[in-house]
Amino acid sequence: MATIGAHGIVAQLPDGFEGRIFVRPPALGATYPVAQFATFPLPDDIGDFGSGAVNLMGSEDVFATLFEYGPESLGTALFARQGRPETFSPDDFSPIVLRRGLVGQSGTQWFFTEAGRPFSFYAVLGSHILRDRLVPRVNSLLTSLAVSPAVPDVPAARPRWN
Amino acid sequence: MVALVVVSTFVVLVLGVLVAGLLRSHADILRSLHDLGVGVGDPASTADGRPGPAAPAAVALGPTAGAPALGEAATVAGVTPAGDARAVAVANSDRLTLLAFLSSGCATCTAFWDALQAPGAMDLPDGTRVVIVTKGPDREVPAEVQARTTGRIPVVMSTEAWVDYQVPGSPFFVLVDGATGRTVGQGVASTVAQLAELVRRAEHDREPGAARRRPDPSSVGGLAREAAADDVLRAAGIHPGDPSLYPRTLDDVFPFGTPAAAPPGVANAQPVRTD
Repeated sequence: MATIGAHGIVAQLPDGFEGRIFVRPPALGATYPVAQFATFPLPDDIGDFGSGAVNLMGSEDVFATLFEYGPESLGTALFARQGRPETFSPDDFSPIVLRRGLVGQSGTQWFFTEAGRPFSFYAVLGSHILRDRLVPRVNSLLTSLAVSPAVPDVPAARPRWN
Repeated sequence: MVALVVVSTFVVLVLGVLVAGLLRSHADILRSLHDLGVGVGDPASTADGRPGPAAPAAVALGPTAGAPALGEAATVAGVTPAGDARAVAVANSDRLTLLAFLSSGCATCTAFWDALQAPGAMDLPDGTRVVIVTKGPDREVPAEVQARTTGRIPVVMSTEAWVDYQVPGSPFFVLVDGATGRTVGQGVASTVAQLAELVRRAEHDREPGAARRRPDPSSVGGLAREAAADDVLRAAGIHPGDPSLYPRTLDDVFPFGTPAAAPPGVANAQPVRTD
């Protein structure tokens, strides 16, 4: 079981999963950490929510992304939920929740605040009819994640010469 | 006089045995060198038969027929040169994964750094995934690794992976068969062309039954697509003649509701950045 961690997010990847935790270059504006996980080879040049990846999924694959929003989202109604869901049930997944609708797939998306950071967790199943088998894989990933409070990137926090 | 003849004959016989032994030993050495790929006629040799300038010994990336697999292949986990986290699972597809263990300061690695980041030009087997693995930031300078990367293929800095795969030095290559999750070859190569040929040979030597656990949506079509769809349906308990295969109303097609019935806040609450 491999463990990866960066930007205040740690994942103990369940068997078969790979992933990455990154921040896009600031040239795109304010950017915040994104963590992506998949049970299939994850290309490096995909969108935050899996565009360019979900079309590569097999029917027994799972894709998930943990996406952090800016601090201006804190305290809003959308992020009122404290903490991520503990587990998902097959009924939490629906074909109409997909960011990019692909035949046979289904997804779920949840918004919440954890460790003082606003997130959404978005997961896609390769096959909705296999959800009873695939949702436990999403749950094993979900429970493997750990989020720590953000470190403010203010000048006083950066190392500097005396 | 007779004694002298007997002694001389004995000495000649002994010397003959010694010469025969030496010749046999020499032949064994030549045979071993040939097996290692550096014998007379080796592709790395020059036209006049002299060894080529760079022939770093054991080229054993492709398994010989019937050779046992080399062992379970571990997930490569570490950080990227930019400081992000990255884990590459090598057993989550049916295809080959080529792990290239390189260093930023290794002169021999330079050609591989350039070529492996454009794998399409290497004529590798279709779908072969290439991953470059350097030692971790404790043993490498991330900025130097970053300067060599193009962002087109995963570059993972992980000293742990070097330990897992028992890498003796750089450059070193490990080939993993995703269908079995096992290492099928490892070793060094002196040129990019030689490496590509070894990967192609490994693909050719793969066991036919080991391939294609899952369909590739980008390439499956026709009969293969139909067979893949049948597999999925059977796995879900839907067999030929199942009523769900013959929808009669719109509700049969959209059992979870039509897109217009999406719950408020879900369809519109989309991410603010790239999707």
